[in-house]
Amino acid sequence: MSTIFKKRNILLWLLAVAFLTPIITLFYLSFSKDWRFPAILPEQFTTESWRYLFFSGGNIGPSFVISLVIALSVATFATLLGFITSKYIAYHKYRKKLLMLTYFPFALSPVIFALCLKFYFIKMSLTGNLQGIILAQLIIALPYSVIFFTGFWNQRIKQYEDLVATLGGTTSYAFRKIVMPIAKSLILVCFFQCFLISWFEFGLTSIIGYGKVETLTIKVFQFISEANIFYAALSCCLLILPPVILLWFNKKFIIQQAK
Amino acid sequence: MFLQINHIQKKYKDKQVIHDVSFGLQAHQTLSILGKSGCGKSTLLKIIAGIEEQDQGEVVLNGKNISNIKSNERNIVYLFQEPLLFPNLNVFENIAFGLRIRKMASADVLQKVEQMLTNLELTEHAKKMPHQISGGQKQRVAFGRALIINPPLILLDEPFSSLDVETRANMQQLYKTIAKKFNITALFVTHDLKEALLMGDQISYMDNGILEIFDSKKDFIEADKTGVKSEIDFWNNL
Repeated sequence: MSTIFKKRNILLWLLAVAFLTPIITLFYLSFSKDWRFPAILPEQFTTESWRYLFFSGGNIGPSFVISLVIALSVATFATLLGFITSKYIAYHKYRKKLLMLTYFPFALSPVIFALCLKFYFIKMSLTGNLQGIILAQLIIALPYSVIFFTGFWNQRIKQYEDLVATLGGTTSYAFRKIVMPIAKSLILVCFFQCFLISWFEFGLTSIIGYGKVETLTIKVFQFISEANIFYAALSCCLLILPPVILLWFNKKFIIQQAK
Repeated sequence: MFLQINHIQKKYKDKQVIHDVSFGLQAHQTLSILGKSGCGKSTLLKIIAGIEEQDQGEVVLNGKNISNIKSNERNIVYLFQEPLLFPNLNVFENIAFGLRIRKMASADVLQKVEQMLTNLELTEHAKKMPHQISGGQKQRVAFGRALIINPPLILLDEPFSSLDVETRANMQQLYKTIAKKFNITALFVTHDLKEALLMGDQISYMDNGILEIFDSKKDFIEADKTGVKSEIDFWNNL
């Protein structure tokens, strides 16, 4: 075995340990109880936290479902609308100006941005409900999706569309048969990233949600502020579960397909 | 005339790309359009294909004014400089693409595509994806994809410019054979002097958006601006 290969292997193992240690720690903590100084490890290993949060009023289950509904809705709308919008922006004569506008939501911190929007959300009765949260998060996720896809609409894609047209195909035929299959991997990556944006979003959700919509991220912050590390660890485990599943899906289908 | 172009004009911002271009082309003939890069020849083809819109003028095909008809309804195929095979489809499906658009029965598609693959000597590559075949083979697939729908007019925009010298010569020969066999009417744009002479039944020269059609190859050779004479001088004085 060459020295370079050995070094690369060690580096990979170090990276794996760096990524996995916090996750293992969180899982370990979620099954623990009574950890007091100077004990090195928690004194009890129990499923009590899990049982409490799911069955005895911890309300983690509903929060998990709410987060999933919001993140899936935001990711779906942002990806599809972003894909279509980016096409029109990419081929528009004021492309640069329109693209500059899409960066606007990122110029402010999400909390300040949410405060600026709050008045309009109150007027439209969109505070404290699911629709309001989805709309608020779309204001961040949609421009991201537009920026993500703008590079895709290049001269080559335009030529494919023109070619389909001269062969007798309509714009929608070109879209379904050629453009979408070519963009499939990108669409999945964008969906994944928009899902993550929404899943971990806190500032906008807490301000527009008024605390009435308790997503998992909001719950985690509540547990942390209550100094309950065991419940916080458990919520974090649930928080990272969907992204890990998506990451696995990403690796299995997108990367293997690219190979 | 099978194809009649009347007073086509096109301007991009302040630059006049095409100045009042008019010409006619008989059926089953190929017109070579020679010109330097940026002289407006690709724009002219795109206007005829319906991909670009002219500012003025009209395109008449087989007696019908098609100037305001969408490109997908004109039945004119435009072949780009690159073969532009659809990367998500294999060779068979690339060639069958136009037939699928026309919702032809699967058995007919199979029979027609297999015939085309044989004509283009591509049978053994039918199941391959575009990245698995060579540049010349890709260009043949692009030809097959265009020819299979039997278009009344084909527009070729420097189709062999990205090929090496040998493959280019083979493709030129193949085009001549196919053009004769399928009775093709075509406009063949090139910046290569030899190619323009070889491929066209008629030859024209485009410069700064102005197109001049020569009555004969002799006139084309004798005209100073086409560069044929200086080319001959170069080889004679070598």
